[in-house]
Amino acid sequence: MEYAYNRTRIIIGLIVVFGLIFVVRLFQLQILQHDYYQKQAILEHTTKFTIPASRGLIYAHDGTDKFAPLVLNEPVYTVYADPTYVKDEGKVADVMRRIAGGNVTKGFEDRLKDDKLRYTVIARQISKTQADLIKKEDLDGVGLQQETKRVYPEDALASQTLGFVNGEGEGQYGIEQALNGELAGKDGLLNAVTDVHGIPISVGAESVNTPPQNGKNLVLTIDRNIQAKTEQILKSGLDKAKATKGSLMVMDPNNGRILAMANWPTYNPNDFKSVEDYTVFSNKAVSDPYEPGSVIKALTMGVGLNEGKIQPNTTYNNTTTLKIDDATIRNVLTSPTGSVTMTQVLAYSFNTGVVQVLRWLGGGEEINQKGKEVLYKYFTDNFMFGQKTGIKLAGEVGGEIISPDDPQGGNVRYANMSFGQGMSASMVQVLSAFAASVNGGTYYEPKIVDGYLGADLKTFTEEPSKIRRTGVLSADASAKLRQMLHDARLGSSVAHGEKGGYYTGGKTGTAQVYDPKTGNYSETETIGSYLGFGGQDKPQYVIMVRVDDARNGGFSGSAAAAPIFTELSNWMLDYLQIQPKG
Amino acid sequence: MYTANNQIVFARQEARQALRRNQNTVRFKAPVGLGPVTHTVLIALMLAVLGLVYLTQITKTSTFGYQLNDLTTKQEQLASENSDLQVETARLQALERVQQSNVAKAMTTPASTEYANQN
Repeated sequence: MEYAYNRTRIIIGLIVVFGLIFVVRLFQLQILQHDYYQKQAILEHTTKFTIPASRGLIYAHDGTDKFAPLVLNEPVYTVYADPTYVKDEGKVADVMRRIAGGNVTKGFEDRLKDDKLRYTVIARQISKTQADLIKKEDLDGVGLQQETKRVYPEDALASQTLGFVNGEGEGQYGIEQALNGELAGKDGLLNAVTDVHGIPISVGAESVNTPPQNGKNLVLTIDRNIQAKTEQILKSGLDKAKATKGSLMVMDPNNGRILAMANWPTYNPNDFKSVEDYTVFSNKAVSDPYEPGSVIKALTMGVGLNEGKIQPNTTYNNTTTLKIDDATIRNVLTSPTGSVTMTQVLAYSFNTGVVQVLRWLGGGEEINQKGKEVLYKYFTDNFMFGQKTGIKLAGEVGGEIISPDDPQGGNVRYANMSFGQGMSASMVQVLSAFAASVNGGTYYEPKIVDGYLGADLKTFTEEPSKIRRTGVLSADASAKLRQMLHDARLGSSVAHGEKGGYYTGGKTGTAQVYDPKTGNYSETETIGSYLGFGGQDKPQYVIMVRVDDARNGGFSGSAAAAPIFTELSNWMLDYLQIQPKG
Repeated sequence: MYTANNQIVFARQEARQALRRNQNTVRFKAPVGLGPVTHTVLIALMLAVLGLVYLTQITKTSTFGYQLNDLTTKQEQLASENSDLQVETARLQALERVQQSNVAKAMTTPASTEYANQN
């Protein structure tokens, strides 16, 4: 009896001891290590899903009251395989070749046989129709992943203004790069409990659903009809001038809206990967500063008018050459000589005439510090050369204006600057300054984004134009300059072919090109420009033309660039339905 | 002291006794009471019912989760089809394509433009 009693006590004791061990262990696991195991459990049955934000679309104006898409998103699919689960490699290869065709990846047949791989891409960027056909085949070990691809339905239209999106989803060049943040939006997050198949089942407090913020839909100031015509006229104008490079811009001078911006050569952003010469990606109208040449004479005349130093009929004695320090300034045309008006200076593009204006700005008969300071102040403060205009496009440069206090800012440089040499500016800078000079004196920031379209793609919110400076020129000086440019245009051969009854004006420019090999201006290369306006009785558009390497003889400003202006200006008068006067 | 209040109390007691006059005077007592086992079983049953209710609710939530997932997938598919159609429409309406159309090719440039005077 004693023995049995002891045995029972031992068993009870053991049970109690084991029970205590369990209790202690459970206490350790459930109480002391509660947080750790709870975290582990949550990690086991929850999954984080990224909900990608949709990149904003880009539209252009299509006439006055419609919008046309320039950039859209197209759903495309990547086909991948897990070779471990692929049962019939031959069938998969056949189906993929038949349906995906040229979209299959190189050597995918070999990778399908490699069981060590758990994931391999076998086709990229296939369409929804192709994806549906592949789904129907019900291939073991083959899956589809949806992505979006940027699509440019107008192909090369305004390509350098738009830019493109690279493989990492980042905007490159143009508006895609400049406004990448606004266009990209912000990805959402879904942190959800999932079932065994990884499908979220929305159970538990740890489920979090942060919706994505889609990118903004932009409407550009570009009118697709003007843009298309601008590109067409630029290309045909370059062909006629036997030139290979050029740019053309159209702006509304009364609010700074860029209506068209074209460069040649260009590219198709749908196929940007096939481009070999990367320089075609950049928008030369904003990112390639150059010595604009004689088109700047229009602005120097504006300074003279605003300072009260000249009137349109003020005369000077034209001797065709001028000696400035150790340099000789020459006119390209050698007649007329003698008494010549300021309007004739613009019509015949006399270098000596604008150098004379520079002299008068200093109050004397020679170029002096005061005259140089006045010109420098106008060029940098009023016309805003030497600084970016603020246009919302990637790669804008500010150009360079040498101060009169700089050792390089001597009399010869300033004589050259008065007719657009010895300084550098981009087309958008020159055109914005010109627009301010002929619109009554208001400098508008060149505007490329006109506003935003809502998610319904109907609600349009316009962005107001930004005035950067008023009083660039007085209203009176601006009106006189317009009239001088009008008279100068009609008084020269460049108005040939122009529609009658309209108020147009402009100035040619044939700039010498600096040759880094010789350290001097090239004897053979020039850049031809034309800077002008058109409208019924006030400027309703301003146009700037640049032709880089004309080979059709004559001065490239008048022989190559001016005809492009005339053709586009005539078309703009019709397109904007501007009636002729009288 | 005999007050009007005491008179009311007595009247109430008499009324109560009058009501009880015909009631059984023998108190009934059940022969068997609920023991501890029954209590435990009942509690277990109640817990089981509560558990079932909880499970039903959880299952319902999961079902809604699947329905939500299905609807989200459908929404994504429709959005994707919409984008596809948008792109197709834009391609068909692209200027280059319109210019190459037979209708556009048949158009001619007007010889001159006349403006009607609104005055």
